[in-house]
Amino acid sequence: MDFAYTPEQEALRDNVRTFIQENVSDEVRQEIEDLGIRRRGPKVRELYAKLGERGWVGISWPREYGGQDGSRIDQYIVEEEFARAGITVGGAGSGAPAILAAGTEEQKKYFLPGLINGEISFALGFTEPQAGADLASLQCRAVRDGDEYVINGQKMFTTAAHYASHIYLMARTDPEAPKHRGISIFLIPMDTEGITVRPLWTIQNEPQAPAGTTYGDARTNEVFFEDVRVPTSCLLGEENMGWYVGAMGLNLDRVGASRYLISVQRDEDIVNYVKENDLGGMNLAEDTSVRDRIAELWIEAQVCRLMTMRSMSLVEKGGNFTYEGSAEKVFAPEHGVRTTETIAQILGPYAQLLNGSEDAVEEGVFAHNLMGSFQSGINHGSTQVMRDQIARRGLGMPRN
Amino acid sequence: MDVLPNEEEQMVKNLAREFLEAECPPRLARDMEKDDLGYPPELWKQLADLGWLGISLPERYGGQGLPLTYLGLITEELGRAIAPVPFHSTMVAALTIAEAGSDAQKQDLLPRVGRGELVLTWAYSEENPRLLPETVQCQAVEDGDNFILTGTKMFVDNFVAAEKCLVACRTAPASGANAGISLLLVDAGSTGVSQIPLTTLAKDKQSKVIFDGVRVPRSSLVGELHQGWPIAQGMLDRGTALLCAQMVGAARKDAEMGIDYAKNRVAFGRPIAAFQSIQHICADMILWVDGGQLLTYEALWKMDQGLPASMEVSQAKSFCNDKCEAVVRSSQVLHGGMGFMMEFDLHLWYRRVTAWSMRLGTSFEHRSRIARGLLDQPGRVRLGMNLELPA
Ligand SMILES: Cc1cc2nc3c(=O)[nH]c(=O)nc-3n(C[C@H](O)[C@H](O)[C@H](O)COP(=O)(O)OP(=O)(O)OC[C@H]3O[C@@H](n4cnc5c(N)ncnc54)[C@H](O)[C@@H]3O)c2cc1C
Repeated sequence: MDFAYTPEQEALRDNVRTFIQENVSDEVRQEIEDLGIRRRGPKVRELYAKLGERGWVGISWPREYGGQDGSRIDQYIVEEEFARAGITVGGAGSGAPAILAAGTEEQKKYFLPGLINGEISFALGFTEPQAGADLASLQCRAVRDGDEYVINGQKMFTTAAHYASHIYLMARTDPEAPKHRGISIFLIPMDTEGITVRPLWTIQNEPQAPAGTTYGDARTNEVFFEDVRVPTSCLLGEENMGWYVGAMGLNLDRVGASRYLISVQRDEDIVNYVKENDLGGMNLAEDTSVRDRIAELWIEAQVCRLMTMRSMSLVEKGGNFTYEGSAEKVFAPEHGVRTTETIAQILGPYAQLLNGSEDAVEEGVFAHNLMGSFQSGINHGSTQVMRDQIARRGLGMPRN
Repeated sequence: MDVLPNEEEQMVKNLAREFLEAECPPRLARDMEKDDLGYPPELWKQLADLGWLGISLPERYGGQGLPLTYLGLITEELGRAIAPVPFHSTMVAALTIAEAGSDAQKQDLLPRVGRGELVLTWAYSEENPRLLPETVQCQAVEDGDNFILTGTKMFVDNFVAAEKCLVACRTAPASGANAGISLLLVDAGSTGVSQIPLTTLAKDKQSKVIFDGVRVPRSSLVGELHQGWPIAQGMLDRGTALLCAQMVGAARKDAEMGIDYAKNRVAFGRPIAAFQSIQHICADMILWVDGGQLLTYEALWKMDQGLPASMEVSQAKSFCNDKCEAVVRSSQVLHGGMGFMMEFDLHLWYRRVTAWSMRLGTSFEHRSRIARGLLDQPGRVRLGMNLELPA
C-alpha cells in the first residue's frame, strides 16, 4: 500500500502547474471560451503542440508511437492538472486504448502520433436513436464490397462530430449473428463523402453554461451515413469482434482524471465558496447542518478519488478490471448529483441563478450543474447498466 | 502510488484468513456471547504464536515492528471472522504504551503482550461519551507516590478479560492549550475498582467501570503529567482506524453471504440473484465496502507514515458507520425471514457491525471534525491535499 506520489511525480505536477500558469494565457482562455475547448483555434493548437513537445500526451503509450513508455499515473497527474485548468489533455477517449490493443501496425503509426500532436481527434460514434444503454442492438450497417465497406445508418449524441477529424464508429457487419457478435469498429475520416452532421442543442445552451460545468458543452450531434464508402483498412480489429474491442476501450475510458473531476469539483467549490463568502450574512460556514452535509459530501468525494486511484493502480500493474471501473462510474456520478442537489439547498435561491444573471454565484456554475450532473450517470454506461456489470462480472450473478 | 495491498501485505492477509477460517468458526463467536470472559484463551495463545499480537509493536520489545497497515489487515480479517478475542482493546492500549510509555513500562509490558500473556484495555468515554477533552471528568489526585483515582468510565471493552486498563483522567483543570488530562495504566484488580457489565447489541464484553478512590502508583503514569490529551487523541485515532478495518472485514464477509444466498434462493422460478433490483442492492454493497476499505487503508497508511491523519480517520469512520451498516442491513434484507432467525448465523455479523458503528465516534462527531478541518482554517481546499485539524 502506498498512497503517496513519488518525488518525481510531485515534481512533474509542479512542472505542469508552472507550465499552465505560463502558457494558458487570457488569450488562450478567450479562444477556448469562444470556440469550446475541443474545437481548436490557433492558440489552442499552439498549446497542444507544446504539450506534445514535452511528452505530456500519451505518456503511457509506447515510444515507437510517440509516447514515453511512461507510467499511467504520470499521465493521470498531467490530465488532472489540465482538467482543473479547464483543458482536456490526452483524453483520446476510448479510441487510443482500443487502437493500442487491436490496431494494425499501420493504424498505430498513423493515429497515435496524430492524437499526440493534436492533429487527430475522435468523435465517438456508438449511440443510435434505438440503441443507447442497449448498445449492442445498434443497426448502423457496414457491408463489405470488395476492398471497401459501405456504411448506412444514423448515430445519435455524437458529441465531437462537428470538429473531430475522425469518427470511431460501431456498425453492424453481420446481422445474422447474435447481436454482440456481429459488430465491427471503424476509424473513418469525418470528411468522407456521405457523412452529414446535424447539431443537437442541449439544455445548457441558453445561456451557455460556464466553464467547468458538468456536461456544460452546449452541443452534441446527429450523424447520418449515406452510402459512405471506406477502405477495409479503416476496420479496427477483426471483423465482427468490434463489441469486445469497444468494450475494452470503454472500460478504460470510464476512469481517469476528467471523469473523476467532473463529479467532485463542486465539492471543492462549495467549501471554498462558503469559506470566502457570507452571502448577505447567512454565514453558512458556521451553520451546523451545512457543516455536517459538507463534511458528508467531502467524505464521498474522497471515496471517488480513492476509487480512481484504485483504477490507476490496477492499470499501472497491467491489469484490466472486472468491476472496478464500473464501480467508479456508479459512485462518482451519483455523488456528483448528491453534491449538486445539496448545494442547491445550502445556497438557497442563489443556486438557481444562471450564467450572466445579476447576483449569480460563481457564474451560475451551481445552477447549471443542476442541469448537467445527472447526465454523467447516463453517458458512457448508465449507472443501471454499470450496476448490472458489477453484479454480473464482479459478483458472478446470473443474467435475468 | 499503489493503493492496493502489495504482495507481502496480501500474503499476510491471506494467511490470516486461512487460519481464522480453520480455527475460528462462527460457533465460537456464538459461544463466547455466553462466556464470562468473552474469549477462548487457547485461541489467544495461537494468535500470539502466529506473531499477530506483536506485529506492529517495536522489535526491541519483542514485536515485529511492521507498519500499522499490517496490523490493520490482520484486524480486518479478525473482523471478517468476527473473532471473539480482546485484540482491538489490547492493541489500542499497547500501541499507546509503545508510543508514549517509559522504557521501563515498555520492557515490562510489551513483550508480555506479544506473548499473549497480557490482555489490555483502555477507558476514555464517560457518561457523556463524546471523545473530547472536556468530557473527561474522572479525577486523579496526587498523593505522595500515588494518584487517587475517582470516577466512572463507560463502554470499556473487555474489562472483564483485561489485566490492566489505560485510563484517561483529569489531573488538572483545562487551561488554555492544556487539557489537563493524564493517562494512567490501572490494574483492573485494584482495590476500589468495580465493574457493571453492559448488555450490548453485539453481546460482547463492555463494562461500566467505577473507580472509587483507587490508589495508582506514580510509575503507572503513561506520558507526562497533564500532557495526556495529544497522546489520547493519537490513541483514539488509531483505535478508530483499526475499528474501521474490523468493520470493513465483517461487512465484506456479510455482503458475500448475502450474495451467495441470493444465488441459491429461488423465487418466481429463478434465483433471486437474477432480479435486477437484487443485483443492484448487491452492487451497492460492494461499492460501500470498497469505499470504506479504501478510506481505512489511507488513514492507516498516513498514520504509519507519521502524516496528520485525523481527517482521514474521521472520513473512514463516518463512512463506515453509515455504509457498513447499510451493507449488513441489506444482507439481512436479501435473506428474507431467515436472517431474522436465531439459529442462522447472519445476525452475528449484523449485530456486531451495527454496535461498532456507535463506538469511537458517531458519524455526526466525525463529520463535525471534518467540517472543522475544512472550514475553520484559512486557505482553499483541494481533494488529495494533506489537511490537519485546527487546534
Ligand atoms: C450530452 C451527451 C453527450 C453524449 N455523447 C455521446 C458520444 O459522443 N457518443 C456516443 O456514442 N454517445 C453519446 N451520448 C449517448 C449516451 O451514451 C446515451 O445517452 C446513453 O448510452 C444512454 O442511452 P439513451 O439516451 O438512448 O437512453 P436509454 O438507453 O433509452 O436509457 C433510458 C433509461 O433506461 C435505463 N436503462 C436502459 N437499460 C436498462 C436496463 N437493462 N436496466 C435498467 N435500466 C435500464 C437507462 O439507464 C436510462 O436511465 C451522449 C449523450 C449525451 C446526453
